[in-house]
Amino acid sequence: MKKLRAAAVSFLNARPLTAALEESERIELVLAEPSMCASLLERGEVELALLPVGGLAGQDYEIVPGIGIGSDGPVSTVLLVGEQSPVVWDEVFLDTASRTSQLLSQIVLAERGLHPRFTPMPAADGLAAARGTKGALIIGDRAFDVSKNQVLDLGREWTQATHLPMIYALWAARPGVLAPEDVAAVTRAAREGLGRRTELAQAFARERGGDPERYRRYLTHRIRYGLGPYELEGLEAFLARVAAAGIAPPTRLRFADDRVRSSRARRRVSLEAALQKAADGERLDVDEAETLDERAPLLELGLAADARRRALHPDGVVTYIVSRNVNYTNVCTTACHFCAFYRPRGHTESYVLTREQLAQKIEETLSLGGIELLLQGGLHPDLAIEWYEDLFRWVKSSYPTIALHALSPEEIWHIARTSGLSLEVTLARLVGAGLDSIPGGGAEVLDDEVRRRIAPLKCSTDEWLAVMRAAHRMGLRSTATLMFGVGEEARHRVAHLLRLRELQDETRGFTAFICWTFQPEHTRLAPGDNTAHAYLRVNALSRLVLDNIPNLQASWVTMGGGVAQAALHMGCNDFGSVMIEENVVSAAGTTFRMDAEEVERHIRDAGFTPSRRNMVYRRLSAEA
Amino acid sequence: MLSPLAHRALEREGLGPVRDRVLARERLSEEDALRLFEARDLAALGALADHVRAERHGASVFYNRNVHLNFTNVCVASCKFCSFARPDDKAASQGYTMSLEEAVGHVLERRALGITEVHIVNGLHPDLPFEFYLEVPRRIRAAWPEIQIKAYTAVEIHFFAEKFKKSYEEVLRALKEAGVDTLPGGGAEIFAPRARRKLCDDKATADEWLSVHRVAHRLGMKTNATMLYGTIETLAERVDHMARLRRLQDETHGFQVFIPLAFHPEHNMIGKAFPKPTGYDGLKTYAVARLFLDNFDHLKAYWVTLGERLAQTALSFGVDDLDGTVLEERIYHMAGAKTPQALLEPELHRLIRAAGRIPVERDSLYRVLRTHPGAPGNAAA
Repeated sequence: MKKLRAAAVSFLNARPLTAALEESERIELVLAEPSMCASLLERGEVELALLPVGGLAGQDYEIVPGIGIGSDGPVSTVLLVGEQSPVVWDEVFLDTASRTSQLLSQIVLAERGLHPRFTPMPAADGLAAARGTKGALIIGDRAFDVSKNQVLDLGREWTQATHLPMIYALWAARPGVLAPEDVAAVTRAAREGLGRRTELAQAFARERGGDPERYRRYLTHRIRYGLGPYELEGLEAFLARVAAAGIAPPTRLRFADDRVRSSRARRRVSLEAALQKAADGERLDVDEAETLDERAPLLELGLAADARRRALHPDGVVTYIVSRNVNYTNVCTTACHFCAFYRPRGHTESYVLTREQLAQKIEETLSLGGIELLLQGGLHPDLAIEWYEDLFRWVKSSYPTIALHALSPEEIWHIARTSGLSLEVTLARLVGAGLDSIPGGGAEVLDDEVRRRIAPLKCSTDEWLAVMRAAHRMGLRSTATLMFGVGEEARHRVAHLLRLRELQDETRGFTAFICWTFQPEHTRLAPGDNTAHAYLRVNALSRLVLDNIPNLQASWVTMGGGVAQAALHMGCNDFGSVMIEENVVSAAGTTFRMDAEEVERHIRDAGFTPSRRNMVYRRLSAEA
Repeated sequence: MLSPLAHRALEREGLGPVRDRVLARERLSEEDALRLFEARDLAALGALADHVRAERHGASVFYNRNVHLNFTNVCVASCKFCSFARPDDKAASQGYTMSLEEAVGHVLERRALGITEVHIVNGLHPDLPFEFYLEVPRRIRAAWPEIQIKAYTAVEIHFFAEKFKKSYEEVLRALKEAGVDTLPGGGAEIFAPRARRKLCDDKATADEWLSVHRVAHRLGMKTNATMLYGTIETLAERVDHMARLRRLQDETHGFQVFIPLAFHPEHNMIGKAFPKPTGYDGLKTYAVARLFLDNFDHLKAYWVTLGERLAQTALSFGVDDLDGTVLEERIYHMAGAKTPQALLEPELHRLIRAAGRIPVERDSLYRVLRTHPGAPGNAAA
């Protein structure tokens, strides 16, 4: 197979995106300075480039979704420098290596009402000439060494002026050349590289001197690698200003996955027939499910789902578990746009729980009648499989009765990657150390079109399902989740449900399904329809489509007890957990709380009989 | 149109005969209402109530833009469910009484916010003169002629009549002259004597509450009606409450809307004994009210007591009114309501549209001010 040629700069900030590509079988890396990346791509000498965004202007390149190099505030390595204040500059020497930074300099100075003469000049000469009333643009690694008196950080200036992030570069390809596998390879490399930022900073310090900690902080705190809706807003604002200033033609952004978007024609389906079929427990196809999602009224979906719940759980028992949700660390490298919980490593609010803290939490859990620990955390770059094995063994030997419902697929992939192990070996070792079952978190919407937009650095749909398949084959049971209300469409939600149903046909390993809506407080993603009405509709639809998953959990933590009671009458047969602690959702502003008594009151009041259960949904005898 | 799934569920629940009466637009008996309360199939109940709502109101969901004025929380009554009242206006007891200027200013300061109604409800203050109660609406009216003034519950009006030795009619005529347009529905609590004796035995009785509204209706004033649920009342007592309202409405047709209010347990005398009623109870109460109160045009879910999520859900259980943007609510927030202090109009529109409905801004008399079709919701409902 002929490799795709990809041009990229050797700057420190590009290394997390390019380092893992050096071993790629699909892509051959060509190192060049920024403006060269643009011209190589333009001349067709490479198919793909880590392109300064100025190079997008007037081109029809396809952008690899989800990944970029940007800043939201100071960037540290795109600077205007001089001996005196920029107010007195009459001439600014622009580093010829980057057209994007040239454009940004002009915009930022104009924003301040300054209009000096701009003269292109190589960086080293410009720096030397930046004396008196002259300024110079310095970009990239060279900026680490700048010691001039007057410095304008162009990232900070841009964000102050626009309240938006600045995107400097992204992966762009000549139209039509990228296969989905190439996009996947570039994305996977980014994910890997971002997990290795500490090592990359150390290697960089060895190469050119300087403080490795300073470089690490630069890679983790200054540079942002996601390209979500918020970053795209910044990018579009930049291109619009460039166009408005008449510097470059207007640009419409195109993405590599635009071409593969489904244009499937939907068969016409009668709503009433689909509802009847669903209520009778017949399997729904994609057209029927999408029609129900888009057109069925809430109560009709609810009535059909209630008929299914009655058929599957005719005795009117609603189960719940007493468990404790423990987040062992909030350090995470993924930076999903919908997450209010994560902190970068080294942040003052970052933590990894100690044994003492865990012991206290477990003992409190046991004293409250708890039987399970729901253990999840961020993707901590320093924790390898041994840490988890030790932890699980310690839990099991200290507290033999507690069940470990632990590690979402995302975390399991992360452990496999940081430890250099296969998925199967990773799972087998974790099970050997005491893992009992797997929570289905991190599924969000299992459709790559949506995932790339909201969680570009998370595992793909196939990867998420691969973990579940491997775990189920090993005899582990897991739950499955859906977090919606992120601006996705009916076809994405239905695709999610169908992928779960398909895997369940194969493995029978899912015990339960839980959906909830995206909670936007303190996050950077604008919500789609995340109201209670949407929750009840999607929940009922899930009961109808997931004909092979036995249990459906009502999400009172996000929706409140009353809406969760309504969900019990529209498909659910489980009231989730008495949660002793839940950090992630409450970080995003949702604060419903219930103890066991309150959970039972809600179940009874809604006309059902409460029963405690364990993590594989076996009911516990009444004395528990 | 009631769907085949709804028919099937109602029959399974033994509600076929009730359904038939509803579809034939026949009146439900008190026994029917009790049967509905005792039914367990929430979705089926919702479908029936939603059918009745849709026949009356189509896709419209009403709201208004209002500001609340509670100029004093000092109250001589001792209702067990209340977290608002204070015995005096000393700082130590967190009591307060606004001056005339403060009370009027509280309303006039918000003139620029597009408000169309002021809602005035207070404690039963032992010392304020009748003139004060007249002067507040009078000054608001003089400074702001187009604002609609909804003032004083029947409990307060009964209190004025006793304290100032006037008939209900004299009090109401004076208030009307001072600028009051409509009466709020508060103070009804639960009419049944057994429950009322235990909850609030030192304020207007059920008959007195109803008499005040009867007189107001005769004078041409429209009024609202509430029911406090979730304390010591039985389901039969809830039905009794609604039956008394329905009888008066047959006589006068002066009620505009019925508003069930959930008990809030924090900071009051009975909160420890009675937890907050669950959302299931609320949704069911709305559905039964919609089906039983066949002579009430509107049914309101007061989002301040329910939260936005449950209030939106109630739109599928017979509710056609989400109250207002409610600036400056105090009574429920002092009882622990966690809802925001005000819902802004765009958020209200978002909730209504996401439920597949059309937001309609109304005035105090339920006249349509503005329809906001906007972007359709994501689903037919």
